[in-house]
Amino acid sequence: MSAVAAQYDALQALGVEVFSVSVDSHFVHKIWNDEELSKMVDGGVRFHMLSDQAGNIGRAYGVYDDQQGIEMRGRFIIDPDGVVQAMEVMTPPVGRKLAETVRQVQAFQHVRATGGKEATPAGWEPGKPTLKPGPDLVGKVWKVWNPSME
Amino acid sequence: MVARVGQKAPDFAAPAYYRGGFTNVKLSDYAGKWVMLCFYPGDFTFV
Repeated sequence: MSAVAAQYDALQALGVEVFSVSVDSHFVHKIWNDEELSKMVDGGVRFHMLSDQAGNIGRAYGVYDDQQGIEMRGRFIIDPDGVVQAMEVMTPPVGRKLAETVRQVQAFQHVRATGGKEATPAGWEPGKPTLKPGPDLVGKVWKVWNPSME
Repeated sequence: MVARVGQKAPDFAAPAYYRGGFTNVKLSDYAGKWVMLCFYPGDFTFV
């Protein structure tokens, strides 16, 4: 979670509200922040750390493991209309790469800003060419994009 | 209904720790904003 805290400024700059969720109480969140996370990231955790002790939120998002009573590493990007645009769910031993979340948010924000008229090809980052789906592009993507541009 | 891409995110309310205090968070209060929701196995785990 310290990795998310370290990317908080980048996410804030994109207007993204961050919520972390685990089955721990909010009291334990406080102690974890005070005792450990604040020593790993300047200023500690500055986003809301939610407590889901009954696992109800985790069940609603399909990440609650009732055998172990814990939640998997699930990351969801929700747009301003409240629609889930992206999800990534991993088992506990492998951590996330937050830079990829930032990239996906930038891409979804770009698509939204164009009213869905543009799509972003694989590996797209701001400044790179987008695709403009339409009859002219069918079978002709090769003219405007290929994997070496990723 | 379990969360799916392209579908409305399930709403929820939960107690939270936030910048030294305790508060409540309701997802639907953040309509109009981009939200990143990050689940993890537990506090004081190693990854």
